[in-house]
Amino acid sequence: MKSAVKERVAALARLPGVWRGGELENAVHPAVATGHAALDRELPGGGWPTGTLSEVLHDGVGIGEVAFLANALARASEGDRLVAWINAPHLPYAPALAQAGIALERCLVVRPANREDALWAAEQAMRSGACGAVLLWFGLRQAQARAERNDYASMRRLQMAAEAGRAMAVCFRSTQAEALSTPAHLRIVAFREDGVLKIRIPKRRGPPLVTPVPISALGYRARKVETARVPLHAVPSPRSFAFTVS
Amino acid sequence: MLWVALELPALPLQIAERAGASSDALVISEGTAQRPIVSCANAEAKAAGVREGQAVAAAKALAGELRVIARDPAAERETLEGLAAWAGQFTPMVAVEAQGIVLEIESSLRLFNGHAQLTAAILRGIRNLGFHAAIGVAPTALAARIIARAEAQGLQVRSCLTVEELRSRLAELPLFLFDWPEATLARLTDLGVLRVKDILELPAEGIARRFGPEIVLALDRLVGLQCDPRVPYVPPPRFRSRIELPAEADGVEALLFPLRRLLVQFEGYARGRGAGAQRLSLTLEHGRKSRTHLGIDFASPEREADFIISIAREKLGRLKLASPTIALALRVDALLAYTPRTAAWLPGAQEQAIGRERLLERLAARLGRERVFGIAVASDHRPESNWGRIHDSGFGAPPQTPASATPGPRPIWLLNRPQHLISDSGTPRLQGHLDLAAGPERIEAGWWDGKEVSRDYYIALNPHGERYWIYREHRDPDGWYLHGVFA
Repeated sequence: MKSAVKERVAALARLPGVWRGGELENAVHPAVATGHAALDRELPGGGWPTGTLSEVLHDGVGIGEVAFLANALARASEGDRLVAWINAPHLPYAPALAQAGIALERCLVVRPANREDALWAAEQAMRSGACGAVLLWFGLRQAQARAERNDYASMRRLQMAAEAGRAMAVCFRSTQAEALSTPAHLRIVAFREDGVLKIRIPKRRGPPLVTPVPISALGYRARKVETARVPLHAVPSPRSFAFTVS
Repeated sequence: MLWVALELPALPLQIAERAGASSDALVISEGTAQRPIVSCANAEAKAAGVREGQAVAAAKALAGELRVIARDPAAERETLEGLAAWAGQFTPMVAVEAQGIVLEIESSLRLFNGHAQLTAAILRGIRNLGFHAAIGVAPTALAARIIARAEAQGLQVRSCLTVEELRSRLAELPLFLFDWPEATLARLTDLGVLRVKDILELPAEGIARRFGPEIVLALDRLVGLQCDPRVPYVPPPRFRSRIELPAEADGVEALLFPLRRLLVQFEGYARGRGAGAQRLSLTLEHGRKSRTHLGIDFASPEREADFIISIAREKLGRLKLASPTIALALRVDALLAYTPRTAAWLPGAQEQAIGRERLLERLAARLGRERVFGIAVASDHRPESNWGRIHDSGFGAPPQTPASATPGPRPIWLLNRPQHLISDSGTPRLQGHLDLAAGPERIEAGWWDGKEVSRDYYIALNPHGERYWIYREHRDPDGWYLHGVFA
């Protein structure tokens, strides 16, 4: 009797969207490895989810909040799918993306004029099925803080669109959004501590992750460079070199 | 040969109500200006007691609020020609008749899986265009027209596919369905010749002597004894269509429905010619002089109404219309070869590419072309010029030159223009004191085009752990600038 019940429960847990409280969900859609083994272990399906919306919460631009996804982005764009950068706070810099291994010819930059257009563009991109990854920012820091009010409805729309288009959909928000509920299946918080990027997972299909995961590859520790003593002519300049030849 | 005849009853009324039925009583007038008579009336007018053939004055007395539109034969002809051009997608042999069009479909039967499917497709299409038509199918063009007319009059006739059964199918039909002179029809009635079977029994010489040889010729053509050649309609090289709205439309949403009808017509026209268009011009007419022009551009030729309307919706949504719209006109000047999209078993690379194309079109339509772009690496050492934007058709092409490895680490965000940093005692600050973590990387280039840079780049860290790409002007030791962010 008891074993029959257990079997049934085990069968239930294999259904998509069903998981035990203490375990991670068996992801329905294939997940993309992020290239950070410690992080992948903590994500349901062993990688960054596709076909669903996920949120990256971070305060401060420049802590490596995009770079840690570079591997996943490179993989999501395989099979000739686009990587859409929607309403990014600055211009995505082509040489940096090339260095990160993201195919430039598949990068689509969208700079909408306002928040409505940004949401609309993101929804279109996610729904189209042409995008392997859609990255969405809501605006610059100050505007974002103001706008982090309850917009569950628009996030829900994005979630539906991501499901329809099987895209890796990532929405970047400020950590103030952590107090708000979200329809996204995954929400992570990226922050820097002692010069190392760390990741906390307040929401995933499984138990929340309290102990932060360090992302070691991006740990640029501060190395003192004595600027004042770098002589300005220590590095030969190409121009002066050209003059000596002629 | 197998002919399909489409008969549009009350055509002037259909033209007036194409963009949506009006809720007011409406009649079409014809005849002299002194005593116009009602040519056709809509359901509301008929409910008020208005009959065809009445004087317009009498109709006005019957229905209080009556809209009267004068009949416009040129517009009717134009509509029928538009319909013929649209029908070119089914067969190349389409001819324009007095109240409708005829199509020769025998050669198209296999393509459309038989005449039942084909006629269903034609009727569906006509409905999407905003018309309703009676349809007749027969081995001769004249018989098809007579059958269609009988159907328009509410008579039950089965369509017929072979010449052998033609006589029996037509036998019971009344003679007033033919466009013969009134006098001829009246004399035939006096003789007791009322139905097709009656006249077919009479000797041909007698009919020719009494009513003229053209009646005999018509009967021979009806049953297929004489050939009945028709000149196929050749659509003009440019597409033009206009639709009047039943009432002044304030918003843009109200325009989508009539626009859809225009686009369906365009799709049929383009399909018939195996073509598509890269640019469509839409004109919204607000009054006698005031109009708004809207161009709809595509990266590659398109013709599918559903897709074009989704783009047009975004474009129209951006418009600020000062005054209400009374009519819509669609114009296409240049037709280009169109490659139909092939369906595949599984969503493969091709679908992906279509999805991508459509996505780009849609984004560019709403946001503007300059806001949607791709990026590429350019061969230059200056950070601001070693990348470029790619617009439109260039997007998605593999890079021409393999990206050469950039020497140092580069930030994911680049600032539009470098931002000057305040510095205290020689060290820059940005939300706290900046520590220089790596550098310098000297970039000195551009003396050849006047935009010379000579900078030392550093990677800097602030106390919050944010990493920046900053530089110091070579010539100005205190000139620190922020140029990128390592996001």
